[in-house]
Amino acid sequence: MNILASYNWIKEYLKTEATAEEFSREMSLKSMSVESIEYLKDRFENMVIGVVKELKVHPDADRLKVAMTDIGGKEVQIVCGGQNLCSGMKVVVALPGAKVIWHGEGEYVELKETKVRGVESFGMICAPSELGLEKAYCSAGGIWDLSELTSAPAGTSFVEAMDMDDIIFDIEVTSNRVDSMSIIGLAREGGVVAEGEFKFIEPESIKEGSGKDLKVQVDEQDLCPCYMAVVIDGIKVGPSPMWLQNKLLLSGHRPINNIVDITNFVLHEYGQPLHAFDYDKLEGQTIVVRTARAGEVIETLDEKTYELSKNQLVIADALKPVAVAGVMGGEQAGTTEATTTIVFEAATFNPVSIRRTSRALNLFSDSQLLFEKGLSVQLPEIALARAVELTLEIAGGYVASTVYDIRKVEYVPLQFPWNCQKSRNVIGVDLSDEDMIKILEKLGFVLDGSGGQYQVTVPFWRDHDIENEIDFTEEIARIFGYHNIPITLPNQEPPTVYADQALLWEDRTKMLFCSHGYTEFCGYSFVSAHDLERYDLDPSDAVELYNPLSSDLTHMRTSLAPSVLKDIEMNQGQVQSGQIFELQRVYLKKEGDLPKERTRLVFGEFGVKDVNQAFLQQKGMLLLWAKNVGLEIRLERLEDDVYWHPTRSASIMYKANRVGIIGQVATQYQNAFGIERPVMMVDLDFEAVVADMNKKMRYEPIPEFPAIIRDIAVEVDAKLEFSQIKSALLNLDSIIRSIDLKDVYQGEGVETGKKSLTLSIILRSDSQTLSSEVADSVIEKIATVAIGKLSAKMR
Amino acid sequence: MSIEKNKDMRQKLEQLKSDFTSAIEQISSEEALEALRVEYLGRRGKLGELLSGLKDLSAEDKKEIGPFANQIKQELEAGFARKHAELMQELAGEKAQSEWIDITAPGIEPVNGNLHLTTQAIQEVVSIFNQLGFIRVRHPEIDWDYYAFESLNMPKDHAARDEWETFFIADGNKVMEGEKGKVVLTPHTSNGQVREIEKGYLPIRMMNINKTYRRQSDVTHVPMFHQFEGLLIDKGVTIAQLKGVFDFFVKRFFGPEREVRLRPHHFRFTEPSFELDISCNLCGGSAKIAGKKCRMCKQGWLELGGAGMVHPNVLHAGGLDPKEYNGFAFGWGVERTLMMKSGMNIDDIRILYKNDLRFLKQF
Repeated sequence: MNILASYNWIKEYLKTEATAEEFSREMSLKSMSVESIEYLKDRFENMVIGVVKELKVHPDADRLKVAMTDIGGKEVQIVCGGQNLCSGMKVVVALPGAKVIWHGEGEYVELKETKVRGVESFGMICAPSELGLEKAYCSAGGIWDLSELTSAPAGTSFVEAMDMDDIIFDIEVTSNRVDSMSIIGLAREGGVVAEGEFKFIEPESIKEGSGKDLKVQVDEQDLCPCYMAVVIDGIKVGPSPMWLQNKLLLSGHRPINNIVDITNFVLHEYGQPLHAFDYDKLEGQTIVVRTARAGEVIETLDEKTYELSKNQLVIADALKPVAVAGVMGGEQAGTTEATTTIVFEAATFNPVSIRRTSRALNLFSDSQLLFEKGLSVQLPEIALARAVELTLEIAGGYVASTVYDIRKVEYVPLQFPWNCQKSRNVIGVDLSDEDMIKILEKLGFVLDGSGGQYQVTVPFWRDHDIENEIDFTEEIARIFGYHNIPITLPNQEPPTVYADQALLWEDRTKMLFCSHGYTEFCGYSFVSAHDLERYDLDPSDAVELYNPLSSDLTHMRTSLAPSVLKDIEMNQGQVQSGQIFELQRVYLKKEGDLPKERTRLVFGEFGVKDVNQAFLQQKGMLLLWAKNVGLEIRLERLEDDVYWHPTRSASIMYKANRVGIIGQVATQYQNAFGIERPVMMVDLDFEAVVADMNKKMRYEPIPEFPAIIRDIAVEVDAKLEFSQIKSALLNLDSIIRSIDLKDVYQGEGVETGKKSLTLSIILRSDSQTLSSEVADSVIEKIATVAIGKLSAKMR
Repeated sequence: MSIEKNKDMRQKLEQLKSDFTSAIEQISSEEALEALRVEYLGRRGKLGELLSGLKDLSAEDKKEIGPFANQIKQELEAGFARKHAELMQELAGEKAQSEWIDITAPGIEPVNGNLHLTTQAIQEVVSIFNQLGFIRVRHPEIDWDYYAFESLNMPKDHAARDEWETFFIADGNKVMEGEKGKVVLTPHTSNGQVREIEKGYLPIRMMNINKTYRRQSDVTHVPMFHQFEGLLIDKGVTIAQLKGVFDFFVKRFFGPEREVRLRPHHFRFTEPSFELDISCNLCGGSAKIAGKKCRMCKQGWLELGGAGMVHPNVLHAGGLDPKEYNGFAFGWGVERTLMMKSGMNIDDIRILYKNDLRFLKQF
């Protein structure tokens, strides 16, 4: 969470000579990260107060006006579209060189002297949004009317006129340090990190009054451990003074009216959300903190209506909810111009309850943000006093009731033991006890003890943050400065661990496929029920998400195939063919236990033109991979698997088990996924074989005698498998070293139903150089068997 | 007499040399040169013929004329070699002209495969941490609430355990629950911390890299992404050592000129907790480029990820005595690390997992 913090405001509580840069650096290193620094003098450079002297209609555009404007010592001509512009109005003029947000949208743009529809325009008369202050109050018509700035003559710089010579920090506050989501909190941290003195003067406690009684009742003390309220009568609601509005604007709040502005002011300054009710609109002048009743609805200040449910905490009057507790006030009992009596509420709510209510209603606010991080029950009292002090000063009136204060239990500060040596050990720097104690004390901790062992009392603003002795180590280390801790590598002996071999094999597999022209897919682990069904997988067999983000990501995939097919379909319009692989996990349901996560490998070619060729290529890749990972696999023809083409697929066998399938995706599934051209694919259970993967290194002596290579052409039955030919011929003689298929031909010159094969045969003897006569005789033997056993015709 | 003979021989040799010299000038082909060589230097060539006359000379004459004849022979041979080299060079030039190729024609690239960007980043990260003895492990992506939250010092009502932040697994129309709580898609790789400690092997230098899941999807968020999680558990582990490891990684992954810093941060399972920043490479850490605010970084620094000293409650959960052992953990998004290194500006991060080949084939 971030806060916009004015340095001037911080300095009301922090006496420091540190420049904004120094403050920001020290804060970032030791406390909260300052994400940006904005110098308002720079941001509003070349912006001055102007007074409109004379107004003419633009000769060529009805909706534009030409304003002769006094910018101090001279009058300039400015073209302006603002409909509320009138003669005598005091306005902000952005002169050439100023940076404005064009029409309040997008980035800052530097203004130049220009012509608007042919008329010279020296700058721009601005709307608040064009200055980046879109939350400023502005009457209809768009131009920011600053006529009430009587003390600033034309030509005064905007920054000076508005008392905005300030520096704004955008600070990221970590979720555990909600105390720093406030000016006071930042000043307090600043006092420790940035060479300064934090001075906090508590507001005077409220002088109780009488006359307007209120009935306050807290039904849910677990959800509301502290509820305070006070009535102020005789107030006048109206716009806040300029200083207050400006402070809010620079803090990112929208000025509304003095009462609402005071609650936002205190929220920003103290970090305690407050709420103001119109006393007269509270039925029975009663406040009840209770959970909502079934069917209750509330219209909140954002003018939306919410239906509440039973576990949600509300602030109600005698009849109905008047606020969603800690989240947003109701429209009905809010303060308006007509309000004369208000009830200020300052409370602490259960952070979890606030968060759940806010998420369930999808309703968010500055208050909710702070409450859900956990605020101290000690904070409402001083924040309420501050609000009353400001109200009496700004809106008049008097305290008309006692201060109601309902608490679950008496506040007891947290205490933890702390040992100096333990902190020193973890930080790794030889800090003295005194230095560490000094740091803790500066941060507001109170120490009791001696000799390196202490009992530490936690200040109330750290109530939800400090939970353990180790937290003190963090406080000391960060204030000492993490950047001051030296850099050393661990000098302990590293463990002797044998790396997870499965991960290494996955890596090698990926590298192999990549180096052979395959592109790696990595898709979402979740798919839709529809994707599973398209591949005839039953979604009820898949691990299902209880709270999916959308209906297309509902089930954990049990197979990579559907995702890969879907991705092929998505690609085919742009990339007609390609080779892809995916090596990722699938998730298999296990009754009453965590799902089994298994790695699978899918690879293949899509957009296939020559199916036979594609099969051989993927088979070749499969075998190459198997060789590289040291697996001996074999293929067995597969005929009865609906997912695969009945005559173009095979089981991949490892030992006695089928571990995968290679083949053409069955037409039915190709169609189901809308894929136009055949897909030749391997789907393999990587997990089933990974344990046996092994990079075998084996040396085979280089042959001593040369080989003879002979090619022969045989014509055989078209359906005769090469493996049959090979097994029939390979063992005919010990000098036949290998038989390879060089070419297959069907067509002219070959009988229908037959094919002509060119076999490449390598002959080699281990004991002598072969003579061509010996080679001839072996080839002769091969031919005889081919003709006899394989009904081949020699060509 | 012998003087005469010698003189005659000498003249003949000189004549031969001058004939050869003028003849060789005229030669323009390899064949003609060879013919000339045969004519003069061949076995039955002119020089040989002339020198055969030497045998008739007296020993004394031989001694006188011999060295001169030898010198002439060497000169002829040198002349021939020179011409031969000249000719070869000329011929090579001509031959080369006839063998001209167009070197500007487009190259034929081998079919190139592509590793997914995440795979590439993981490999690089792992290789760096390997050098410090961190070994990659893999813990479940779908895990018990206990490992994902409870054992990491995150109380039951912690926001991350809410249904709008974390994916839960269904059991019918309920959230699936078992012996160690609800079943979740791990929102971070930190579930590996207590699981690794429970293995019972000490010390620990773990690098757990896995898919992680969060309920968010927009131009800067993907519901599935990758994280890596380093965990070091040993005796006497210090913040200084965490800084050392981080510095080691950053200098090797991002470059030796990059600076690192730790900033205070907050995580439930570490104490102290840090945000790890590296200096911005665009503005060189100055936060300004040509007088304007650097758009890449925050005041000269880029947030890389979170880290911290393992919380005693986490050590306890794993069965370790925090008095004896301590450690540090760090972890952040692989995708983010990759983007920061490459400086790539991908306007919608979700393209990473769409498997669009036009995207994947760029890397």
